[in-house]
Amino acid sequence: MNALEIKNLTKSFSDFKLDNLSLTLPSGCIMGLIGENGAGKSTTIKLILDMLHKDSGSITILGRDNSENIALIKEDVGVVMDEVGLPECLTAKQVGKVMKHTFKNWDQDEFERLLKKFSLPDNKSFKDFSRGMKMKLGIAIAMSHGAKLLLLDEATGGLDPVVRDEVVEMFAEFTKNGDRSILISSHIVSDLEKLCDTIAFLHKGKLLLCEKKDELLDEYGIVYCTTEQLPLLDRKSVKYMKGTPYGAEAIVYRNSIPEGVKVSPISIEELFLFMVKEAR
Amino acid sequence: MKGLLLKDFYMALKYCRVFLFVSVFCIVMSFLDSDNLFLAFYSCMLCGMIPVSLLSYDERSRWLQYSETMPYSRAQIVSAKYLIGLIAQTTVLLVISAGFAVRLISAGTFDLGVFITVILLTLIISLISASFPLPFIFKFGVEKGRIAYYIIVGIASAGSVISSNLLTAGVPQNINLNAILAAVCIIGIGLYALSWYLSIVFYKKREL
Repeated sequence: MNALEIKNLTKSFSDFKLDNLSLTLPSGCIMGLIGENGAGKSTTIKLILDMLHKDSGSITILGRDNSENIALIKEDVGVVMDEVGLPECLTAKQVGKVMKHTFKNWDQDEFERLLKKFSLPDNKSFKDFSRGMKMKLGIAIAMSHGAKLLLLDEATGGLDPVVRDEVVEMFAEFTKNGDRSILISSHIVSDLEKLCDTIAFLHKGKLLLCEKKDELLDEYGIVYCTTEQLPLLDRKSVKYMKGTPYGAEAIVYRNSIPEGVKVSPISIEELFLFMVKEAR
Repeated sequence: MKGLLLKDFYMALKYCRVFLFVSVFCIVMSFLDSDNLFLAFYSCMLCGMIPVSLLSYDERSRWLQYSETMPYSRAQIVSAKYLIGLIAQTTVLLVISAGFAVRLISAGTFDLGVFITVILLTLIISLISASFPLPFIFKFGVEKGRIAYYIIVGIASAGSVISSNLLTAGVPQNINLNAILAAVCIIGIGLYALSWYLSIVFYKKREL
């Protein structure tokens, strides 16, 4: 079963349109949504949660249409938004009590374990938490009610590199048994590169690409050369190219590059930057 | 739903203490001045403002968006606010009723009809005053809803003074007080139910 299926999803605002988006996230997989600010990542997640009403298309979460009893579906979905909107006066202990009466499968022991792991105080008001602490509490909530799907919108923002690394490992661990999945959007492409099985690039509300990460990295490579050497490359083997202060760079299809040309591995971040600049 | 009520209870304990102090003050003062029922009415109406105040804090902390990540329907989120308001108003009303009954009995002037009339009027006026701002808030947000509320409280307060004078001055014989009271009750409860329904309808359509 797919954890998430989005088909022809469209939502228009006065100044932005999410245009005919289709994505499929199989169970047990992690998909990274990469895009600039305003590309449509948060809009997509809000539409999945029915916080925004779609103009057209369909969204199926864990086999159930999100327009039918979304409240019930959310029992199985853990969400961390870019801002954790808990009341400022609540302490982590009170949050635990509220969530115990919110989620049927709330696991108080797991919640307390995560509070300890993240070194979050029990009795400090949420308003006195740093941004990183707030995000950690949001992550602890999302991972303490037996969710089968995690929706993470900039969930690693505000965390220091050490904690971020730990959190990324926790997310990877989450999907290990094969029936749990994650859709994660982030500006920190290196996190997504480490974590994701599938990468989706969004640009101005349109899906530029959605492919398995390993296939992307196998398919594309980068050639560093002089501007004089650039025209010598077969145009069909070049996907994108640009001049740099030191010469030129070209993203190429590895299979069609003749032997003898040195092709370096490409990172997802480099690929994304090339694609966005090309799309502009 | 229990989670929502618990969260609102924690918030009310922290942010709405002033409502409690003012309500106690008003109740005590209304007992000292037996001819002035305004303060008793006012304390009850004040508690009707608790949901508005909680919604204001919810909006500031972005709880309305965050609660959308939880297994609550929009109807439950709206209903929790109405219930927390009802609980607060009922609690204050019970205190007013007990104090009013004690005062009337000790003065030897207890009249069941007058007693029920005053309590019902207090309940209905506070329900009406609480029912007006919430649909506006659930549709437009807190600020515009709050303006509507202040207008309504002013009107309701004036109405309570008139009612108080009517009760103390005696009722003209050609007016059927019971019929008026029944009509006010039906209108009040009807308005409250309509407000609850409209809030759910508006909030379901709102994009967060």
